[in-house]
Amino acid sequence: MIHLEKISINQLICLVILTQIGVSVLTLPYAQIRNSGNDSWLSILIGGVLAQAVILIIYQLGKRYSDRSLPQYITAIVGKPLGSVVNFVFAAYFMENIFMVTITYSDIINRWVLFETPWFVIIGVSFTIAAYIASSTLRSMATITQMIMLMFLICFVIVLVSGMGKGDFRHLLPIGTHGIGPLLKGAVPSFWLYSGYELLLYAFPFVRSRKKKDIVMAVSAANGFTTFFYMLITVIVTYNFSESQLKSIPEPMVFILRKFRWPVVQSLDILFMTIWLSVVAVTVYVYLFMSARYLAFIGSKEIRNHPFLVWIIVVVCFGFGLGASDRQWQSRFSDYHNIVTAIMIAIVPTILLLISLARGKAAGG
Amino acid sequence: MIADQSLDQNEKSLKEMLFHSSDFKSSDFVAGHRHFRLFYFDTMIEFAVVQDHIIRPLLRNADISVRDAVTILEYSETDLLSVASQALVEGQTVVQIEGEPKLYLLGTQLNKERAVNIPVNERVLRGSNQALIENLDTNLNLMRKQISTADLVVKFYQLGRRSNTKVAVLYLRSLANENVLKEFDRRIDSIDIDYVEGTGFIQEMIEDKKFSMFPKMLITERPDRVKSYLLDGKIAILTDGSPNCLIVPVSFWAFFQTPDDYQIGWLFGSAFRFLRIICFIFAMSLPGTYVALVTFDPRIVPFPIALTLQSSMQYIALPPVLEALTMLLILEILREATIRLPSSIANTIGVVGGIVIGTVVVESNLISNMMVIVVALTGIASFIIPSYEMSTTARYLSYPFILMASIFGLFGLELSFLMVVTHLARLNTMGIPYFYSGISGDTIQDTWFRGPIRSLKKRPKESLAKDEMRISARRGGTE
Repeated sequence: MIHLEKISINQLICLVILTQIGVSVLTLPYAQIRNSGNDSWLSILIGGVLAQAVILIIYQLGKRYSDRSLPQYITAIVGKPLGSVVNFVFAAYFMENIFMVTITYSDIINRWVLFETPWFVIIGVSFTIAAYIASSTLRSMATITQMIMLMFLICFVIVLVSGMGKGDFRHLLPIGTHGIGPLLKGAVPSFWLYSGYELLLYAFPFVRSRKKKDIVMAVSAANGFTTFFYMLITVIVTYNFSESQLKSIPEPMVFILRKFRWPVVQSLDILFMTIWLSVVAVTVYVYLFMSARYLAFIGSKEIRNHPFLVWIIVVVCFGFGLGASDRQWQSRFSDYHNIVTAIMIAIVPTILLLISLARGKAAGG
Repeated sequence: MIADQSLDQNEKSLKEMLFHSSDFKSSDFVAGHRHFRLFYFDTMIEFAVVQDHIIRPLLRNADISVRDAVTILEYSETDLLSVASQALVEGQTVVQIEGEPKLYLLGTQLNKERAVNIPVNERVLRGSNQALIENLDTNLNLMRKQISTADLVVKFYQLGRRSNTKVAVLYLRSLANENVLKEFDRRIDSIDIDYVEGTGFIQEMIEDKKFSMFPKMLITERPDRVKSYLLDGKIAILTDGSPNCLIVPVSFWAFFQTPDDYQIGWLFGSAFRFLRIICFIFAMSLPGTYVALVTFDPRIVPFPIALTLQSSMQYIALPPVLEALTMLLILEILREATIRLPSSIANTIGVVGGIVIGTVVVESNLISNMMVIVVALTGIASFIIPSYEMSTTARYLSYPFILMASIFGLFGLELSFLMVVTHLARLNTMGIPYFYSGISGDTIQDTWFRGPIRSLKKRPKESLAKDEMRISARRGGTE
């Protein structure tokens, strides 16, 4: 049985930051560069602001039902049968997310570090670890995340130090040549980099805080930090490579790390990717946990056996993952994934809030 | 069975009940018109007490009752032979007067115990130099002296159907959390076993998650350490016949604390505390890291170092994984041998095992000298940890680390770390998180570090003490 103990504000911040930050750091400005070129960092900033807007929507929604989590109060908004459907859709979305993140990262590992290890071993191990972590309580997960935050800070230092090598700040200039249109267009692919705050939909009632406002402040701070980190990475990458070079490098950060030499560590990229594994793991296990929690509410009664649900989801994902080692297929899938993400984390909460507002008025009047 | 009027009849029944033990004795004397008989185990009583405080007063005062005559504090009466036989076993003397169906039980135990000595297994540089001993009463006496307040509650339990071991549970009434106490009571009441051997049995019977490698109860032999935990609101368990004390509930971080930390100033205290925790991570992961670097990712190591590693491994036939496992096994064998041998020979083992085997193994190209260094460092790093249980955990965890490292390289290490952290985060002792206090902002001053005493205003959260504050805000010294 799952104990739903409360988590602290600090833990919430760590959870949100690390859920947001994932594999994409390695590939970062690749998607934006096609539209906004050397101004990608501005596109990333706009993406962060958009994410902030959605956080406010989610907060409004959570505040209205502050004693319950989304899978529980969804029936109060859209009714029983539709509520189950929405829960299932969310569970499926998270499942798809787990799948996507694990596959992308495993692919990177397979190409850069473990060349000879068979594909099914890599994804098998990743899924097993994620399932082991996700079958614990929210509070245990928050504790683990705080430990991983330390690892993340090590990565942060590595990125900062290695990025300041030989580069040219003129790569960033002139600012704003691409115009507003391409900037916004570049902001669209950066919007889903920020997914992770939808954790709040579920975690809202489990946060220990003096005022409800502290929660939105915490999530905003986390989002702010993520935005800053993404911008930093983009600036570092643009500083190191010119626009035309970047267009043909899918994983620029790995190159930057590889060319940097420390006296004690020769190949920083391997070290970085190893430590980065734990950061990616957070995204996977948080989504895995949530997927299982949403799934628990699809019936009329809550399914209490949380670890069982987690393992079922993992086995399904592993089954699909076996055939997903093809890179072409992965990139097509990722396009589809981005659209789904936008719908699930921005549009669905907005609609839910609108319905809830309309219902609230009807009930009040 | 009710006592008979006749002395001979009683003696016969008692002999039956005690299965004609050869050390069960009786002796008669007559004072005035009364005929007394004493029953006792001559291996259990203090003869001088019996002579001076029972026989002599009774002979002198021929008429007054036994109660008024004997000068012994531990006095009771009974008419049940079963009660008398139990008292006899515990070392009391039973007195009966001919014609009276009543037995007088008088405390005349012989207390043979070793003196309170300095701690052997937990040594510190500064701080008190007393250690608990095997006698429960002496231990309780030590604890009462350390905490002289009526607040200290001592509760006795009799555990073990056959051994009837006395177990004392200590806590401070105003601090210990009721729910934890209740849970503890429930667990200790559920113990049903024929005999209890020291604290280890109790620990295993009441702890949660038996498959975890991590110790969830702290064992200490230092009364000052027990005191400090009692004053944090925890529960201490003392067993008769064991010089160890169990502390529940503790968190992971308690295993890295020693009384030293609080005696040598907070800066050095923090430095040493941090060193111990780093050494724990070292002891777990060093052989694994070496294996990963050598076999999987030699690219990470700079070229000159890689050359050194390469030259040391040049003629070694074994793969690094097997080298590491063999060397760790040898280290374990040496450790165990040193403990079991008499201390006069143990030094020889150190020389033969450490120096001779170490040198020859390298010279004969069985193990690379790099690996000897790595394993020796691992051993030393694990022995820094003040708790023996935790240092064993660290060393044994290094085996899965090595295996994972040999399969997945650095990734394997990272995965193992994740597993360990997850396992720790999922552990609970008595319903209290095991690992959380090291990360929570409220309690971090006394986990990774030992903050200045003034900053330790609150008790650690893991004991859920009723009164959280330790010191008031007033300051004595200057900044």
